[in-house]
Formats: sequence, structure tokens, C-alpha cells
Amino acid sequence: MSLDFDTLSTLRLQHPAWRLMRSDHAPLIASFLHRVFVVPNVRVMSQADLVEILEDELYALRLRLGDASFPGAALHYLNEWAAPDKGWLRKFYKAGTDDAQFDITPATEKAIAWLTQLTERQFVGTESRLLTLFDLLKQMSEGSDTDPERRMAELVRKRAEIDAEIERVASGDMPVLDDTALKDRFQQFMQGSRELLSDFREVEHNFRMLDRRVRERIAKWEGGKGALLEDIMGERDAIADSDQGKSFRAFWDFLLSSRRQDELTDLLERVLALPVVASLEPDPRTRRMHHDWVEAGEHTQRTVAVLSQQLRRFLDDQAWLENRRIMDIMRSLEGRALSVRDRMPAGAFMQIASTRASIDLIMERPLYTPAFKPVINDLVLQAEDDDVDAQTLFEQIMVDKARLTRHVRQMLQERDQVTLRDLVAAQPIEQGLAELITYLQLGNDGFSSSVDEQTMDDIEWFGETASGDSVRRVARLPRVIFMR
Amino acid sequence: MSAESGQSMQDGGSFAADAPSDLSILLVNLLKGVQYREQDERQWARLLSLQPHVMDYVSVLGLELVLDEAEGYAFLKSRAQDGDTESGPKLPRLIARRPLSFQVSLLLALLRKQLLEFDAGGVDTRLVLSRDEIVEQVRLFMPDQSNEVRLIDQIEASINKVVELGFLHKLKSTSSQKQGPGHYEVRRILKAFVDAQWLSEFDVRLAAYQAALRGELIQQADGDQVREPDDE
Repeated sequence: MSLDFDTLSTLRLQHPAWRLMRSDHAPLIASFLHRVFVVPNVRVMSQADLVEILEDELYALRLRLGDASFPGAALHYLNEWAAPDKGWLRKFYKAGTDDAQFDITPATEKAIAWLTQLTERQFVGTESRLLTLFDLLKQMSEGSDTDPERRMAELVRKRAEIDAEIERVASGDMPVLDDTALKDRFQQFMQGSRELLSDFREVEHNFRMLDRRVRERIAKWEGGKGALLEDIMGERDAIADSDQGKSFRAFWDFLLSSRRQDELTDLLERVLALPVVASLEPDPRTRRMHHDWVEAGEHTQRTVAVLSQQLRRFLDDQAWLENRRIMDIMRSLEGRALSVRDRMPAGAFMQIASTRASIDLIMERPLYTPAFKPVINDLVLQAEDDDVDAQTLFEQIMVDKARLTRHVRQMLQERDQVTLRDLVAAQPIEQGLAELITYLQLGNDGFSSSVDEQTMDDIEWFGETASGDSVRRVARLPRVIFMR
Repeated sequence: MSAESGQSMQDGGSFAADAPSDLSILLVNLLKGVQYREQDERQWARLLSLQPHVMDYVSVLGLELVLDEAEGYAFLKSRAQDGDTESGPKLPRLIARRPLSFQVSLLLALLRKQLLEFDAGGVDTRLVLSRDEIVEQVRLFMPDQSNEVRLIDQIEASINKVVELGFLHKLKSTSSQKQGPGHYEVRRILKAFVDAQWLSEFDVRLAAYQAALRGELIQQADGDQVREPDDE
């Protein structure tokens, strides 16, 4: 992009980030959105919650700056920020709720990121960045080399280097990073990881734009059906096969491997424990940085899945043809409706099938029953003196959910998924059916469960009969799988 | 098959599966109204597996099952055969056809168009319109009148009718802000009822009405000089 006068003046008018900077309310908007969305890594917030937080913020500001400042209601501001001519918030409706949802747009995120950079850093680490760049270059040149001999030579050279290092360490000569080098690297790590997090919003945004472009092309298509299908077949995976899609998938596969997760946890722990790093007072959330990545990535992953599904639905050629026809009919219909608008047809005009069957049986109607009028007496009940054994109240079976959750977690430490049957084989059921049922209710604490209704599993345990004998019991149920 | 296993799991495997009861629940629910996947995923799965049974059963009642897997809804409709053919005894309709006024019909058509445009441009699945947006849509097709309140009342009556038909869903206003005019979600089931065929029938009827109106006007014009509507 060239930064010439015309480009910039268009950007100044049109880019939401620049508009945000120009807004009189920029300090309020940026500080509020930064606090609510960026800092806690929140991706979606319901309107009711957001209105409440903003209302509090406005109240506090009015106390400080006088009642005249920010006279509008919170909801009014939010709607304004989400309006197309502002574009700082994305407002949408999620399946399953009636409440509108908000997320900040990538442009807002950029503006906020730029603002945070305005304040000076303690120092600017240059060494670590140079090393990173150097590494990237090496990866590119080595990774694209197809000559086996040169590759071999490179590997041999590396081995020699490692051998030399082993020897040096064996002789007690260990080079250690000094404090400045550590700070330099840590600073770069923090910056990179924050950027990665903020990039997810843009990735999602890019996916949406891709989807939109494909839809626009289909909607505007004027050619025949055959040509359309040919063209579209190539687009079925337009989203997953784009550069953006591939890069995201690679990232996701890398992050999701359990070995990487453990490694990341381990490394973060060790690095944060270093005295120099601790003295920089990193954000406590740094420790769970990689969880934030997973969370944000998951959100993006879901968006991509939804987009692909909707696009397929939209591409359904039958629906496409029907849509075309409907648009044609609507044009004619609207013209006619306009011409008769001063003398609209009265009475019933069209019919439509009801969505339900009307079954109305006369005998099903309830007979008249006189309304029951309770008489309320103001009496104090006398307690009986009988000594009731309260023990029976406590003898109910109580299944310890936390214990069962722990079992599942333990099993999942070594593998990605485990069936309930395998789990029970390793951790025998002690409390019978009640415990089994409780397993079926688990699935919110760091793992999820799913049911494979095609396969049946037998689950067995030993229970006690009334006489105290041990008896083997078996339950047959569809396979339940716990997944990480 | 999978539906039966779902049943047996609830019973802890103590007794054999009870398939007919699944079928009964499904049938009763379908007779009572549209079933959406998002309402109950398990029931949806059961419906998919028992689909042939459901079809057989409802065909006895002169109904057929319409199931859209991509959109995630299913409902029953009268089989087309007992339409205009006068041969043989006709099965009385179990599912009534409801008469619609011109305004309600027009509103349905406009909503269908909105839904289509929304699908073509948008990314979200849920089309939510505020009352004012709907009013703006319909206003163009209403006679000019100075009484704004009456106009909005009329349109609101149409909206309520469509809500009753089940094609609009009024969203609960959760924010305790001022209770402005509500928001409505256009239910995707509208696509199945207001289809190209329905719309073209609407168009044909309207054309007939237009022609009748014109004839009437020409007759009047002979006596007093009433302006003729455009030939279009």
C-alpha cells in the first residue's frame, strides 16, 4: 500500500480505526473496549452485560467530569459504535439466545494496539529480533532446498556444532544468557504472543470477507447453471484452501498436540520463575497464554465451520434456482402491489397452510370445576416431642463428582480420548448405578463427552445384594467417549 | 436403531428398548407444530432415524413429512393430491389452510425477500429486524396517509398475525433500557411455506385483481373523468 495523499485521505474518512482516533469520544471508547475485550481476551459479550459495564463506566465518568459529559444512555452508545458508519463493534445474533452479542472489530483492535505502543517501552530489544529474522531466513532457504547433498552437508555441519557444544559443556564451559539478553527475549515474546492473540480477530474477519466474496459472485452470476456449478465446485472449499485457511490449520494442528501443550506449560513455568523475568512483573495471565491461544483459535475454528456450512447451504443449486425465481416474481409482485396501493384488495386474499394440525376434541375440554379457595389460618404448629432419627436423612448415596472428574482427567492425561468402558475398567465403579449415571453428567470441566449411538458397550461392576453378597451387574448403553 | 439405544441408556439398560414411544412422541410433536433441530438435538436425531416410520404413519392421515436437514427443521403438510380433483371422497383436511389478508400476504412476501437478500450478503444465520425496519419495508406499499400512528398500527397488526402464524419470532427484550418497539427474528421455516410457487400464485391473483380494478375504473371513467391507472 502506498502512503500517498489520496490513499490517506480516503483512509482517514473510511477506515474505522482512523475514524476511532478522530472521534471526540476516542478516550472513552478505546479505554472501555480495551478493558472489556482486549485485556481479558473476551471474544463475545451479550448486550445486557456490556450495557451494564458501560453504564457503570459512564456513571463513574459523570461523577468525575460532571453530569454534562456523556449524556447518552449506554445502549445508545453501543448501537452507535456498531453502526456501519462507525464500525467499531460487530453486533450479531447468536443461535440460542435472543440477546444481541457484541465483539470488537479488527480495526478497533488495531487502533487499540497502536495506542498501547505509544507509551514508551523500557528499552527496545534488537538482538532477539535480529536472531528471529535470521532464523526465518534460514528456515526458508533450508526448507526449500531440494539438493540432498547440500542438505546432508548442512546436517553434518549442525552435528559438528552440537558435538563441539557438548564438549564445551562437559568441560564446564557453559555460556549463559545475561539479564539484558533475557529481558530482550522476554519482551519480544510478550509482544509476539499478544499480537498473535489480536491477530485471531483479523483472521476471522478475513474468513468472513472470503465468504462474502464467494456469495457476491454467486448472487451476481448471470450465466447458465452448468457454468455456475463448474465455477462453484472450485469454491466449495474456498475458505479452507485459501492461504489464510491453510496457515490457520497448520497453526491449529501445532497448538493442539498434547506434547506441545505440555511443553509450553513447562517452558512458561520455567521462564516466569527466572528472577530477571519476575522482576519485569509480567501480567499474571502470561502463565496461561497458550490457553488463551487455544480459546481464541477455537473460536475462529467454529466460525470457519459455520461459514463453510452456510456457504454449502447457499450453494445448494436447487435453492439457488429457487432464489432466482423468487427475485423475478418479487419484482413483478412489488410493481403490482404499488399500482394497487390506493385500492388494496379487502378480505382474504391468499391462503397458507398452517404449521400445525388442529385437533380439537370436544370431550377433551375440561369440565367446570369450582375454583379452590384456600383458607389460611394463622396457627403455630406444635412440634412433636418424638425423637426422630435424623440419620436416615444422611444415608442417601452421595456420589462425589469431583472424584469422578479426577478419574477422567487422569485418563486423559495420557491420551486424547477414552471410552467410559475403558475408564471403568481402570477405575472400578464403587457406588453402582448412581456412580455410572454421574459419569454421564460430566463434561464441563476441561473435557467433553459424546455418545456414539451406533456402538453398544457393556459396563460392569460389583454391587451388593440386600443380604450383603457381592453380585456382578452389567449395564448396556451406547458408547460414551470423553475427549480432551 | 440408534433411537432405541438412546432410550435404553436412559433406563440404565434394565429393560428392552421401547421404540413405539419414541415414535409417538415424535408424531405428537410434529402434529403440534414445526420441530427445530436447535430446540432438541436428541429428538432431531431420533427423527432422522425414524423418518421412514414417521412418513408411513402420517401418510395414513393424508399428510407428508417435510424435513430439511441443512436448515434443521421438519413439519407436516397436507398431501397435494386432494387439491382440486373432485373424484372420489375427499379426505378432510387435518392441517387447515389459513386465509390471509392482502396486507399479511404482502408482508410475508417482503419478509421472504429480506431473508433471501440476507442469505446472499450476510454471514449470520439469524435475520433479526426491528419493528421500524419492517414498517419501513411495508410503508411503501401502503396508501399515503397523514396519520402515521394508524399506519404503524395497521402494520403492527400484520406483524402480530405473522407472529401467530409462526414465521416471525418476537425477541424478548432483555436490556432493561426503555422498552422501545420490539425486535423480530424471521424464522427460516418461512422459506418452506413462502416458496416460489406460493409467490407466483400471489402474483397471478394480484394481476387478476389489477385487471378487475382497471375494468372498473374504465367504466367509471365513462361517467366522470377519473384518472386511469398506468397501463403497466
